Formats: sequence, C-alpha cells, structure tokens
Amino acid sequence: MKAHTVMIAIALAASAPAFSQWLRYPTPGIPRTADGKPNLSAPAPKMPDGKPDLSGIWVAADGKYLPNLALDGVEVPFLPWAAALYKERQANHGMGRPSERCLTHGVTDFDALGTPRRFIQTPGMLVIIFEAYNHWRQIFLDGRPLPQTIQPVYMGYSVGKWDGDTLVVDTTGFNDRGWLDDGGHPQTEQLHVTERFRRRNFGHIDLQLTIDDPGAYAKPWTVNLSGFNFFADQELMESICENEKDVQHMVGK
Amino acid sequence: MMKRILVAMIAICVPLSAQWLNYPTPGIPRLANGKPNLEAPAPKTADGKPDLSGLYDIDNGRLFQDIAADIKPQDFPIQPWAAALAKQREEDMRKGDPYSHCLPPIVPRINSGNRPFKILQLPGLVAILYETGYLFRQIFTDGRPLPKDPQPAWMGYSVGKWEGDTLVVDTIGFQDRGWLDGNKGHPHTDAMHVTERFRRVNLGHLEIQSTIDDPKAYTKPFTVTQKLHLLADSEILENICNENEKDAAHLVGK
Repeated sequence: MKAHTVMIAIALAASAPAFSQWLRYPTPGIPRTADGKPNLSAPAPKMPDGKPDLSGIWVAADGKYLPNLALDGVEVPFLPWAAALYKERQANHGMGRPSERCLTHGVTDFDALGTPRRFIQTPGMLVIIFEAYNHWRQIFLDGRPLPQTIQPVYMGYSVGKWDGDTLVVDTTGFNDRGWLDDGGHPQTEQLHVTERFRRRNFGHIDLQLTIDDPGAYAKPWTVNLSGFNFFADQELMESICENEKDVQHMVGK
Repeated sequence: MMKRILVAMIAICVPLSAQWLNYPTPGIPRLANGKPNLEAPAPKTADGKPDLSGLYDIDNGRLFQDIAADIKPQDFPIQPWAAALAKQREEDMRKGDPYSHCLPPIVPRINSGNRPFKILQLPGLVAILYETGYLFRQIFTDGRPLPKDPQPAWMGYSVGKWEGDTLVVDTIGFQDRGWLDGNKGHPHTDAMHVTERFRRVNLGHLEIQSTIDDPKAYTKPFTVTQKLHLLADSEILENICNENEKDAAHLVGK
C-alpha cells in the first residue's frame, strides 16, 4: 500500500501535460535514475505483507519461446500419440492453431507471447490483463484450493502461493483444444501447469514453467522462459481479434 | 478493508470440495444465517472513497437490447439519419450486430450484459473484468487527462474521478462500428463521449448512470440507468465467443 500511496502523491504532484498521449504517459511511482529513466535494477517493490509486488506492465524479454517452449534443447518426453500429433502439426505449418480462429491463448503461450500485459496484484489475487485479445486471467492468492470438478477452459483455473520470494502458481482445469505453444505441443485435460514467477529486481521477472500432463507426456518437463521486462511509460492498447480472415488461407502439407 | 479481508480469509475454513463458482466471497459482511448482508453500508478504501470492488450482475438486461427502453420515443433525441439507420438494422433482423459476430459490446452496453463482471478498485486504477465478451477495461483514476487524439477503439479510453461518493468516468476514443444496443441497433459515431456515474448504494447494490453525448448522431445528450446487485459467493468464467461462432453463417436479413 505504501507504494500505492507514493504513486498517488506523485500523480497529484506531476503536472499532467495537456499533450499527453495514451501511450506516452509516464508511469507514476516508479524508481528513476538521475536522468529520469526508469531504474530497472532497483529492488523489487513489496506489498504491505512483505511479499514482492509483481504489479506493472510487462513484456516478454524475448518472444523466441512462443513457437517452441522447449527451444533450449529441453527433451520433451512425448507419449507416442502426442509425438505423432506434434509432428503432424509441424508438418502442417501450425495449421489448426486456435489463434487462427481468434480463439484465446492459454497459460503457457501467453507466458511466451511478446505483447504487453499488466499484472495487478492485490492481497487476495493476481490479475493479468493481456493486450492480446483484451483477455484477462485471475490467479487466486487467498488460500482457496484448486477446484475439483470444473468446466475445462483454455486458461484453466489458477491459485498461487509464495515460496519465499517466488510466486508459485498452479493451474488445472484446461481443455484439450489449446496448444502449449504456437508450434503445437499438445495438451490434454490432465494438464497441470506450474509457473514460478520471481521478480528479480524492479525491471525483470524470471519465469519457469513445469508442464505436467500424464495424458500427453511420460513425465513432467520444465523450461525457463525469457521472463518479462518492465515496460515503463507505456500502456496497453486495445487488441480485438476481429480480422479473422486467416483460417480460410491456412494451408497444410 | 484489506486487513479485514485477510483476517476473514484466515478465519474461513476452506472446504475441500470447493468449486470454482461457489467459493464463499471472503471479507464481506454476513447475516446470522451466513448470507451476505446486502443492505450493509458500501465498503470504503483507505482514502475514504467508496470501494466499488466486487462481482456484479444486472437486475435487468433491457438496456443491452434497447438503450432507449426507459425513454419516451418523443424524448429520444436521435437524429433522422441515425433513426433511419437503426430502423434499417432492426428490419434487417440485427444481422450486423457486432456482438453476434463475437465483437465487443461497447461502453456502456457492456455494463448491461447478462453475464457478471468484476470491478477491481486500486489506487490510481479501476479495472473491470467482464465475462460478457471476455474483455477487460481500464479506467485511470490517477489524474491523467483524456488523450487528445486517441486511436479509435471499440471500448474507448476511460479516465475517472470522484465527485462525492460517485465515480465519474469519462470515455472517448470510440470507433464508429459499435452498436449501442442489440435489438434496436442504435448507432453512434466517433464523436461519442460517454459519462458513466458509478455509485455503490450499499454493499449489495450498484447503479451506473450513463450519459451518451454524441452530437453527430443525437441532438442532445441522453441518460440511462443500469441497476446491478452484488453476486456473492460466485465467480466470473472464461467465455470464448469465437469458439462457437456458428451464428454468422446462418444470420439472414430481410
């Protein structure tokens, strides 16, 4: 809360320029160096309870993991059917990917996607609002358990808890129609994703993913994604997937 | 408020059988029988302003289909060209309603959708997560001005400020393809300026009074009121419209 109070004080003190544009409004309340630039190596801010505050606008430090979460040579322990499906999707240049029909991303491909997203952290919840699709995601931090029987969805159902300074988010309740990445790593309704978010300093969040899906993989596999860089003095834009003209032009092998 | 939520959370014994949709909302005042006390006073944030945070559902969805439902026809200040366009859309059995094509219901229509939405009130920002359309909205309350030349958007750009106990939200920057309602197809233009006045009457009730000022389509501003109630012990769900978007191929006009 202290950070928020400071934020308000600065917002009130800053005389808002009449020409300010949507995307160029200075992010209030962030540490800056003497030359006015955001001090990205400052310590991570804290919530009143001493836990790290992940709030802010973030972009993937590197978008290279979107086509393939296992880019760094991680061996993916495919079950045979999943290996065959992945091979087919690769041979088909990714045809059939949900996004070609303006369907949403899921947890793992949103984590790899290069477009900005805002984390809003409150004592009981972390909300992520994504520029892509204008979609949102809720991660409950209030101690509730993962639900048992639920309607499977693309984004799953998420709860998080703190392991030291790392926020560990468990998500289940996925449908089997999402793709783990644009390359087409398959998933089943047994998918359980564990994300470990660690705000290393003001400017960066490290992110590790563990994919545990006994329906598609022989054992859990873990990847370190690029994480996120703080996106200062910027805002999210509206991005409605309304130009759904891809699907008729997709060609396979 | 936050402290109270934390204390209440710790006190609640979490049932193992919890479902996504019926987890008890932590931190709200309850009656002796455990039901939410909807007539309790509206909660406040640390700075003394009403806290709008919560999950809400509409009392009545008529404005979603007809924004002029509560206005006498002779008092509805629609310009002739806009009335003619609305008539044509209605005769065409609202085939072109963007919402039928999985595009966003705009502001303020989205506040009248028949799926709940969640308001998150933070210092400097109010965010609304809508189940309708699976969309979010940001309302900046940190004193920034409206942008001068915003890129036109479905949902526009919103800033808010408090007038007493009412959050007054100004939104501009609309493109002109949205419909103000479904059955009537009332149009708007890129000149539209929407002013929404959010007032939390008590814990259980929220009113949004919306004034539409669009001099290119209406001869003067007009105002409508959406009443909502708190949806306790429930949640919003993922709602992917395009997944089942099989309507468009079957829509017929006149």
